[in-house]
Amino acid sequence: MSAGDALHGTERAAEADPGARARFEALTLPHLAYLFRLAVRLTGDAHDAEDLVQETYIKAWRAFDALRDASRVRPWLGQILSRLVLDRHRAPAHEVAVGDLVELDRFSLYERIDEEDPFPYSDHLHRDFLAAFDDEDVRRALRALPEAYRVPLVLLYVEDLSYKELAEALGCPVGTIMSRLHRARKILERELWACAKRRGLVKDDTPWR
Amino acid sequence: MAMTCAEAVQRFFAYLDRALVGEARDELAAHLQACLDCCDRLAFSRQLDAFVRERLPDSPLPPDLEARIRGLLREA
Repeated sequence: MSAGDALHGTERAAEADPGARARFEALTLPHLAYLFRLAVRLTGDAHDAEDLVQETYIKAWRAFDALRDASRVRPWLGQILSRLVLDRHRAPAHEVAVGDLVELDRFSLYERIDEEDPFPYSDHLHRDFLAAFDDEDVRRALRALPEAYRVPLVLLYVEDLSYKELAEALGCPVGTIMSRLHRARKILERELWACAKRRGLVKDDTPWR
Repeated sequence: MAMTCAEAVQRFFAYLDRALVGEARDELAAHLQACLDCCDRLAFSRQLDAFVRERLPDSPLPPDLEARIRGLLREA
């Protein structure tokens, strides 16, 4: 969004009601910390998150008239922010590329760990496997998710929303949410397995199967 | 007809997300009663969800961000 667009919206709303901006700030700025945290989680990057939050406030201000229920301001802001992340990265015509979907759906980290057995003396093989990763490994795996998959998954983790609520927040059908959340986890599993291979935790050299 | 393991696995995430209802949920529950292997797989999926959830990125709020936003809103 250009600065000119933002200013135009600000002028319009302020002209209509001089107290509007003060009301807007009083209502929305208490949610700044929440929004920034959500933005960091959705983007995985603090600088991106700053830009995103500023853009969210401008967009929300321009759409302030559309907020019917002031008690819903936090989810309203969260929805604007989440959709901005999706819109920024919306794939042009086709589905976001995540490789062969049949192979992806069939991928099972649980089975790979079982087959490879990286900790032969462990009584808690799968738990020990996860414990070998540090926070940055997990964050890198999350960043590898295309936004269309990462946004619903992070919202599910952070907000504990139902599929219906996620569908409303992101403006897509419930079936899409369901398949995206399934595949988001599968991509994460695949990324963690790739990370384990890079780390030499496992020596698997077969392609994803 | 009883649910296969492959069918059960396809429903795990919806089950964990409490999005599985009615017959679909009952069928999976019945399968889990009988299949220890799927119980272990489901437990791992739950564990992995919690593992990732606890490691979501975080960063302190930049102290000047509120002032910058107020400035942006005021520019007219």
